[in-house]
Amino acid sequence: MHDRLMALADELAAEGESAATPCPDPVNAAMIRNWTQALGDRSGRWSEYAPPAMIQVWSMAGPDDRPSPGGRSGQVGRGKSAPDRVLSLLDESGYTGVVATNCEHTYDRYLRLGEELSTTVLFDGVTGPKRTALGEGYFVTWYERWYSGGERVAEMLFRVLKFKPRGAPPAPAGGRYPLRPAVGPDTRFFWDGVRAGELRIQRCAECGALRHPPGPMCPACHATKRDHVVAAGRGVVHSYVVHHHPPVPGLTPPYVVALVELEEGVRIIGNLLGCAPGDVYVGMPVELEFQRMDEELTLPQWRPAAAAPTAEKPPGAAEPSAGESRRDREPGEPELRIELTPTFVISTALATRDFTPVHHDPAVARAQGSADIFLNILTTIGLVQRYALERRPDARLAGIALRLGAPAYAGDTLTLTGRAGEDGTLEVRGAVGLGDHVVATVRLGEPA
Amino acid sequence: MTISGRAAIAGIGATEFSKESGRSELQLAAEACVAALKDAGLTPSDVDGLVTFTQDTNAEIAVARELGVPELSFFSRVDYGGGAACGTVAHAAMAVATGQARTVVCYRAFNERSGQRFGQATTAMAPGTTAMEFSWHLPFGFATPAAWVAMQARRYLHDYGATSEDFGRVAVAMRRHAATNPRAWFHERPITLEEHQASRWVVEPLHLLDCCQESDGAVAIVVTGADRARDLPNPPVSITAAAQGSGPNQMMMFGYYDTDLAALPAMGVVGRALWERSGLRPADVQTAILYDHFTPFVLMQLEELGFCGRGEGRDFVADGGIELDGHLPVNPNGGQLGEAYIHGMNGIAEAVRQIRGTSVNQVPDVSHVLVTAGTGVPTSGLILSRAT
Repeated sequence: MHDRLMALADELAAEGESAATPCPDPVNAAMIRNWTQALGDRSGRWSEYAPPAMIQVWSMAGPDDRPSPGGRSGQVGRGKSAPDRVLSLLDESGYTGVVATNCEHTYDRYLRLGEELSTTVLFDGVTGPKRTALGEGYFVTWYERWYSGGERVAEMLFRVLKFKPRGAPPAPAGGRYPLRPAVGPDTRFFWDGVRAGELRIQRCAECGALRHPPGPMCPACHATKRDHVVAAGRGVVHSYVVHHHPPVPGLTPPYVVALVELEEGVRIIGNLLGCAPGDVYVGMPVELEFQRMDEELTLPQWRPAAAAPTAEKPPGAAEPSAGESRRDREPGEPELRIELTPTFVISTALATRDFTPVHHDPAVARAQGSADIFLNILTTIGLVQRYALERRPDARLAGIALRLGAPAYAGDTLTLTGRAGEDGTLEVRGAVGLGDHVVATVRLGEPA
Repeated sequence: MTISGRAAIAGIGATEFSKESGRSELQLAAEACVAALKDAGLTPSDVDGLVTFTQDTNAEIAVARELGVPELSFFSRVDYGGGAACGTVAHAAMAVATGQARTVVCYRAFNERSGQRFGQATTAMAPGTTAMEFSWHLPFGFATPAAWVAMQARRYLHDYGATSEDFGRVAVAMRRHAATNPRAWFHERPITLEEHQASRWVVEPLHLLDCCQESDGAVAIVVTGADRARDLPNPPVSITAAAQGSGPNQMMMFGYYDTDLAALPAMGVVGRALWERSGLRPADVQTAILYDHFTPFVLMQLEELGFCGRGEGRDFVADGGIELDGHLPVNPNGGQLGEAYIHGMNGIAEAVRQIRGTSVNQVPDVSHVLVTAGTGVPTSGLILSRAT
């Protein structure tokens, strides 16, 4: 596979820049207004020019012509793009996980209302295989460029890590996983939830007490009326063991069993996947992952949280951790706090013409192993622009380079802070509960 | 009314302890009961009560048939695995003290090594609330007693800065005691702390030598009225206090959900009851029989029972503290790590020998012995005393 992949990468890189495809709409006030309102940009400065961080929005495909599963790059155009061909080959070879690691914009100039744009794709290359905290993977890099008439106006580098999810046992080979829960009237809601991609915690419908494991009567108030909340899927390892002996049917030792204390306050047992037994520790932040055991059974499992310090970090992961970055911050430095309500996450996704379900449909997001819907990258870069221009209102934006870290889930708070970097740049950091969501370098040019 | 001092242990009996008894569990039970009755100077026709573990495969009526016990007026079972051990004597003492029975035999018999081994993975349970409890654990391969104990042990290490060597000192002490006990499986086979550390992982943080052995065998204990016991051949061993205990949100081995993992709340319940009912303090016992299926729970029991403070178990066992010449000799017979795993019943027999003054590893001047049963589950305990 490696040789085939490298040959394909060389072939695609040699093809050079693709033919230009026209963007659906000219640079226009309506889309700009949608974007500024969704992202909370109240500067009022975008009446003549488009926000530069909006560049990718102009070439996003709509929901109807969004390419099918192979087509992840999401830009307009006919047929399968070069990056999509590489991503498909990796998918077929078991590198099914994907996480964006870098996004770098270069703005040659600001765009005026009414300009008609076209776009091209230039495949850059593949590096790997590399061992990362997420699993073995390949980094895939490509460029998208935008033109007005014959003139290049912006360029974006985009890099993703395609990885082979680590720790998960081999796909069930048609066999039935032997360790099965007994399910009864008092616990069925839990196992139904797991199948639907939800980790459900029983809640007393009278006094609101949460309880796991669940039972038919609230020990606090004796109510038998109960419902549940869906756990955010974040917790810490309260204790853990590494099983070596004796053999347990269905599992290959050594494996880790952890007692996870959830953010919601209850504890639950599960396996810790994607983590070497020697790397686990009491207090380790973990996040939920649903593991399909066979046709019928899915188990709620855990893996190290994206921001958890482990022996190997994904090379693209932002660091240091949120805690460290807060310590580094100078007092009085301006801070932009954004409450990531579901409305914010969804409206910004749509205002950036990103119709990928993980940004608006919680069931789909959870089924794919996320705790909830999360912020899309086009919004993250827009928020970095907003932060930079609120701090340097007179500056002209020349480029933004993002390194992406922990997901920014609905329900979390994104806190942007910044400090002056080298050569007049601004270093912006966006932290969420799980750690750094983004670390960005903003290049500023002469006043606009 | 209190049962304190109203009932006594008049006889103890056992089979050999082996890895393959070569006979049925019922035969083992019958042999141990006959031996205990002979030790007590009684016959099966004196017996009107039988008590065993819920987990025992030998029905009271089956044992009565083999022994030729003509009539039973009291029979009872105690649940929760090894937590039942002292509970069988507690039930017998209550029956005797209240006149429900005159002489009760408590027994436990199994081929736990050559038959169904408890140390193997559990994959399913009979329907009921226990099956529901296990369903939050078994699907994750969290399926053995060693694993269930290891979860608490890990947190104990974390909370109190103890080390695997602190667990190892318990194993070394038990094997030292077993080495001079001819009945012990590990007779003349002591271990060093280095050997403990080098033994393979079973479930981290537990090494193989943190886990008790698996055994075939049976033990029986004869309980009768204190007055009657005085007329029998052996010096009577008075049941000064007996208690059962379960803690908040109790489960079978899974006390993880809203309690302190580095503690054994059910044993705390038992300990408080034993001290209160006996009027004794930890300093009043000369030796203790602490259930040692896994070493970490010996440290936690010392803390729960008030022999030392929380997190101080490792200091208590340092420098041979629980060995024969230490400040509290624990399990002079070698315990379940060294002598045999008969679900705690062999420890009750050793407590009786210590009070009689007949143990091979006799502690001097024993007047009171504290005995505990299986931990991590609902449990039980006894204080046995030299009759006055």
